[in-house]
Amino acid sequence: MEATPAENTLPLRIADFSTLAEALDYAARGTTGFNFYTGAGKLYAALPYAQLKEKARALARRLIGLGVRRGSRVALVADTHPDFMYFFFACQYAGMVPVPLPASIYLGGREAYVTQLNRLLSICQADVAMASEDFLPFLTEAAEGLKLRFVGSPQDFYNLHQPEVELRPSQSQEIAYLQYTSGSTRFPRGVMITQKAVLSNLFAILKYGIGVKAADRAASWLPFYHDMGLVGLVLSPMAAQLSVDYLNTRDFAMRPRVWLTLMSKNRTSLSISPPFGYELCARRVRPEQAANFDLSALRLAGVGAETIRTEPLEQFADLMAPSGFDRRAFQPCYGMAECSLAVSFSPANQGVAVDVVDSNSLAEAQKALPIENIENIDPARVKPLINCGVPLPGYEVEIRDDQGQILPERHCGTLFVRGPSVMSGYFGDLKATREVLTPDGWLNTGDLAYQIADGIVITGRKKDLIIINGRNIWPQDLEHLAEQQPEIRTGDASAFSITNIQGREQAVMMIQCRESHEDKRADLRERIHTCVRMEYGIDCLIELVPRNTLPRTTSGKLSRSGARKVYLKRVAAEHSKVPNEDLYAATLRQRAV
Amino acid sequence: MHSYDDILQKITEILRPFVPQGQAIAEETDLVADLGLDSLKVMKILETVEDSFDILIPLNVLPDIRTVKDFALQIQKLDGDGQ
Repeated sequence: MEATPAENTLPLRIADFSTLAEALDYAARGTTGFNFYTGAGKLYAALPYAQLKEKARALARRLIGLGVRRGSRVALVADTHPDFMYFFFACQYAGMVPVPLPASIYLGGREAYVTQLNRLLSICQADVAMASEDFLPFLTEAAEGLKLRFVGSPQDFYNLHQPEVELRPSQSQEIAYLQYTSGSTRFPRGVMITQKAVLSNLFAILKYGIGVKAADRAASWLPFYHDMGLVGLVLSPMAAQLSVDYLNTRDFAMRPRVWLTLMSKNRTSLSISPPFGYELCARRVRPEQAANFDLSALRLAGVGAETIRTEPLEQFADLMAPSGFDRRAFQPCYGMAECSLAVSFSPANQGVAVDVVDSNSLAEAQKALPIENIENIDPARVKPLINCGVPLPGYEVEIRDDQGQILPERHCGTLFVRGPSVMSGYFGDLKATREVLTPDGWLNTGDLAYQIADGIVITGRKKDLIIINGRNIWPQDLEHLAEQQPEIRTGDASAFSITNIQGREQAVMMIQCRESHEDKRADLRERIHTCVRMEYGIDCLIELVPRNTLPRTTSGKLSRSGARKVYLKRVAAEHSKVPNEDLYAATLRQRAV
Repeated sequence: MHSYDDILQKITEILRPFVPQGQAIAEETDLVADLGLDSLKVMKILETVEDSFDILIPLNVLPDIRTVKDFALQIQKLDGDGQ
């Protein structure tokens, strides 16, 4: 078997199409396509766009034959496999709305995964759903009690009758796909993206963001249910007729070196990853192995999807220098599912641009004052922040304060954006839509940022969001798990993150309870700890405190930032005094004093 | 093909560096609740197990693995399938 070539027989067209189906129709006239590799880096499927088009069209007829109506949601457990592509594009040709669902499960996490799938299926009111044989048992269980027309494996669908019907692909104003935000799993929201919106973003990304060239070749380990994986590394390369090499996310997580091997072997020129991906490679490649790789063709290594820190990128660049990797290939970008994908890109071939500011004025006056002379200042005040570049053409950006006033350059506030690729709204959730999207098209990103002449600098991301190992974890989800315990009342848990001594993010949850017995507290902590691990695969520090000891906001909810302050203060002050004393006892002791 | 006892012993060896010192590892030990493995550690363990037994562990078996015994039985099954 041979992978599809990078060189195409067709002139490059940069996403100047009105729909995804039209883009695939054009790509199908060439020789490029998608390629899939095993965890050992062996090619197991080559899927030229021509073949994808034919199979997708045949499947589109079968979906219509099932009686699935135009605009209905087709839920797809989005494992990295050619079947996902057939279904996603079949929906394009049939005028249906594909909804990628997560294919990520954890040790002992059956129940949590089934519950999550059930919630996602019901929110999007899916009419049919597909999962590979591996995932089908979970999907079938999740669909119980819901009114789905058909739930099956890819083969179950391929076995269906294919009626002779004319296909009417999804049109410019119709919904191209529904993207669940990588947000809260407890309260997920499905972002509606029209063909017009996604095509405009693909054009801007390809033309101005990455400056696509004929014979570029992409590689990806990002999941297809993630906006960066789907829009950045499935739809973008397809809309520019590029070949792509895919590695399953799980295989990358287990053997990150395979990503580097694939890029070496295929002379990959484009890839994108959260910083976490580069960090994982840097941790797992030994210095003497670096020269075995050849990353000399990698002209663009995109970085996005989480707050960018420079250290892991520097480590990766230093380590991989013998492979021919050029650190100027790093290209930070900023975006979110609500904008299809990208809002801004830093300029190509210039590496990571850092704005070094005074952390004191940033914290106290929300002003990002540049530090001119690093030698003359207390190192603790030096804060390097990443410039995520100028907004893509068509995008307007405003930084606003809490009263909605527009702030000048270098003043930090909430980032609002308006542009052609902004979502139509959250599916079936007008309230959530109104909270973030104004009638005149301004989207509240929830991120904190400031502007400088040549870019947007993100200083903090969506309020309270916790990001561990590249995964977004919403505090309300962790709090919900705690509140499920019989001893815990609703509204008595507060989750947040701190930076641990290794400089990594660590989840912490402080919980108020009325449990005076130390052994019982230990048991309760352990139970919640286990629940969090089974559902989210992360290690969360659990701290119990007596009731009415955590600060509340004016609306009566626990204040996460308040709880965080209390935690940091107590850890510093109390833990040092009495070894092995838990925070609950420490709080009582402090009160007694 | 490895016997169940061989597999159990091997898994215990593989798990050892990932768990706190002094933590007992027995058949009924719960991988998540007792050993406190997070998702990155799990990935490293799976890599080692795959390489040691020359098997491929499909992602979909993970949700049903809770104890060391579940893990060993699953490996035994996969090990047997490959013969």
